[in-house]
Amino acid sequence: MSSYNKNILRGIILLSYVLIIALVIYGVAAIFSYLNTGADRSTMPHTEVKQADQYLPELTWSPLANEGRSMDKENLKAIEDDYLDAWYVRYVAYMTNSMGGVDDFYTESVRKHIRNIVSMNSDNNTFIEATTLAHHPTLEFFSEDGQLAVLTDHDVIEYKRIFNDKKLIAEIYEKSTYRVTLLLEDGFWRIRHLVRMESAPYSAEQEINPITVSDIKGINYYPQATPWDMYGNHFNEAIINTDFEIIKNAGLNSVRIFVPYEDFGKSNVSKDKLEKLVRVLDIAETQHLKVLITLFDFYGDYSVRDWTLTQRHAKSIVNALKSHNALLGWDIKNEPNLDFKSRGEDLVIAWLDNMVDFVRSQDPNHAITIGWSNVKSAALLEDQLDFVSFHYYDQEDQLPEKYQALKANIKNKSIVITEYGMSSYSGFWKPFGNSEDDQADYHQSMQTIFSDNNIQFMSWTLYDFVEIPKEVVGRLPWRQNAQKHFGFIDESRAKKPSFKYISTKE
Amino acid sequence: MSLKSLHISLITLALLVIGLITKQDNSNHNYTLITTSKVYTAGDDITLEFTFEGNPDVFMYCSNSYGPLILKPEINNSLKFEIPNILSNKSGILNWELHFGSKRNSGQIEILPKDKINSIETYIGPPSIEAGGTDYSMLVTVPTDDLDNPLIDSTKVAIKRQFLEIRELDDIYIKNGIGYKCLYSDDKSGRMLISTECLGLNSKEFDVNIVPAIPTHFTISANRIHSYADGNQMTTFKTSIIKDRFNNVVSDGTFVTFFVTNKAGLKAKTSGTTMGGIATAKLLHPDHEDQWTVKAYVKGMANSEVITLNYEQVITDFEVSFSEDHRLITVGPLQSFMNQYVPNGLDVTLKIYKDGAIEHQMIEQSIDGFANFKLNKDRYPRGRYKLEIEAAGIVKSFADINYE
Repeated sequence: MSSYNKNILRGIILLSYVLIIALVIYGVAAIFSYLNTGADRSTMPHTEVKQADQYLPELTWSPLANEGRSMDKENLKAIEDDYLDAWYVRYVAYMTNSMGGVDDFYTESVRKHIRNIVSMNSDNNTFIEATTLAHHPTLEFFSEDGQLAVLTDHDVIEYKRIFNDKKLIAEIYEKSTYRVTLLLEDGFWRIRHLVRMESAPYSAEQEINPITVSDIKGINYYPQATPWDMYGNHFNEAIINTDFEIIKNAGLNSVRIFVPYEDFGKSNVSKDKLEKLVRVLDIAETQHLKVLITLFDFYGDYSVRDWTLTQRHAKSIVNALKSHNALLGWDIKNEPNLDFKSRGEDLVIAWLDNMVDFVRSQDPNHAITIGWSNVKSAALLEDQLDFVSFHYYDQEDQLPEKYQALKANIKNKSIVITEYGMSSYSGFWKPFGNSEDDQADYHQSMQTIFSDNNIQFMSWTLYDFVEIPKEVVGRLPWRQNAQKHFGFIDESRAKKPSFKYISTKE
Repeated sequence: MSLKSLHISLITLALLVIGLITKQDNSNHNYTLITTSKVYTAGDDITLEFTFEGNPDVFMYCSNSYGPLILKPEINNSLKFEIPNILSNKSGILNWELHFGSKRNSGQIEILPKDKINSIETYIGPPSIEAGGTDYSMLVTVPTDDLDNPLIDSTKVAIKRQFLEIRELDDIYIKNGIGYKCLYSDDKSGRMLISTECLGLNSKEFDVNIVPAIPTHFTISANRIHSYADGNQMTTFKTSIIKDRFNNVVSDGTFVTFFVTNKAGLKAKTSGTTMGGIATAKLLHPDHEDQWTVKAYVKGMANSEVITLNYEQVITDFEVSFSEDHRLITVGPLQSFMNQYVPNGLDVTLKIYKDGAIEHQMIEQSIDGFANFKLNKDRYPRGRYKLEIEAAGIVKSFADINYE
């Protein structure tokens, strides 16, 4: 019996030995194989594909007249890319108070200065969100062996938001000139010296001579079948042409349309969609309609890091359309005041302020407005705009009073109501909603108010829609259904009673 | 009456003005910069001092070339902002903005680099250039002070260089933070030594190799111990000293190819690289009388004229003997120009024809003046053959060889 037990014991000891040895061998093998792994050799020559655009400030080289070796396009592009990345990583460092990425774009002796600033800001609980908006570099010198370049970057517009203890304490605009010495080190153009030669607080705000708009009688437009997806695969010129004809024949003279930010490709605007947008304006021109273009629909970031990308988006669209005869003006953003709560009023206002200036710099000849969602916000940034616009979905009898109060506040500028309307939905989800007759009454009285007070208007909207994307009003059926029935023409393309009051009768 | 009303209006006006001023004073905080200096040198202690009325709870935004900081004041009777040296050490424009409530005062100071030098960074490239005065290397120098600020523009930098007997000194002036000079080559090849000096500080020594320019045409010669076509000795081809157009010997290792064309128009090539401007290459003598024309090239740059070499026939005749069954064939003795046996290794070719068509060809090399062929019974069965033997360009033919 005891020998039987001993044998079991022996067996267990033997097995545990085997197990321990197996584990040790496995452990050694794991360490060995770990030590044998390393960076992928293919990453050595920095040939990896660049990631998506992150930083696209306006940059204009002055004509090349540098000393030293004559510059070629490829090297200039390499310098430009790395130079802008250097700005970007530095500002990311000041925002996060960490040194990630700085090594690639600054030489060792310069990293020290950045590290000092980062650690001091970090000690003081300060961080900085910043971006540059424009660069005007002049290449001063390019060495014969192509390893050293000096450039002077004139009138760099820097925007900074300084936070202390997570609270915004200052907003800074500066316009500076920097002299930059760059060295080509392991494939990167790294900043060796950065010296600010000139600097001054900057304000883009100039006195503007507002471009007046008069006699706008318009409507917000989406095709019936593809609301909020006007430039997709179902883009159909014939439908738009018919619709514009209806609008024209109803006595209206303008339409308001939207450019969705992400759908148009953000900073890299889709050529195809832009062409479709131009076609819409072409059609409007043949129908003698003017078009108010709302930029940045479905945009909600506003963060400082995103500014240069939005600038690039606006630049592409504004420059493609600015000489079009059908263009009425630019509505920078649809109802930005709805983002005040989630993004911070000061940030949204700062973004709008910059964007208004930017769009005006690209196209000084067309009126600029912001489509505020209510009367209360309508006076914001008023001195920057050519005309003031707001949306009105409140009680119609309060309109004259509110309008007059706003008008007293805003001198010398036109005011346009760029959205108003009433849903004629009354059904399961909203049993006490308004009927089509209520809608007609509403439009009739609105038209009377417009005539009495001489108000310019753009109504919401031509059609009742069958399908509303969830991004517009969410998924809730009572909202969706209400949104479907704002039109003057119903789902079966029959004119609703309100159609009679789509415009003031001459 | 009119005087009185004038007085009244004057007094009213004065009161109004005073009232307005007092009101302003009460409603506004007031901060006045009392530091007058606007230009500093890097490394200076910079303190901005303000007199103030009102709330001392203010902060200052401060930014230099590299970035922004927020400063809090030291409050006594005045507000003192001490600019930390991480900002005051760097040259360039330093902006400050004093923020109080929603308002701000702003200004700027200029920080100049020190006028003492600490290091001269020097970059030179390309490291080797061609002689002749058109090619050049560029020296770029970035002198900095001890706080790593580039020195101010128009600071003088001396560039010193030595090349052969020449020693030169040039002054350049810093522009855009750097100074540069193109260093042109001379007609001579060699090594140029360069150093820079700025404000008494000398750099280390740099050098640029001036390599000879491309070669010019040259001549070639052939060297051989005899002119016999013995298929054994080597002919050595040799170039003259290859030089560039400035009389510099071309760089060692310049690759020269010799093309040899024989009487039949067949080409052979051999090559060598230069040492001290001379390239040599060798080729085995032919084994029969021939004439070679030789021309050498440095590909794409230069070539020699053509030389001609004649090789004399050494073997005038040879004997062929057969064994009894004709299957063992002995060629020889093969005798050279002094009747000595030719050195081992002369190719002897045997061609075997049957019914007018070539059946096989065998090549043997001579050993001690003889070459032996053995025709195997299994390979060459009974029949009539024709044999043809060739050595040193001489052909001997034997028809009607019958094998049992």
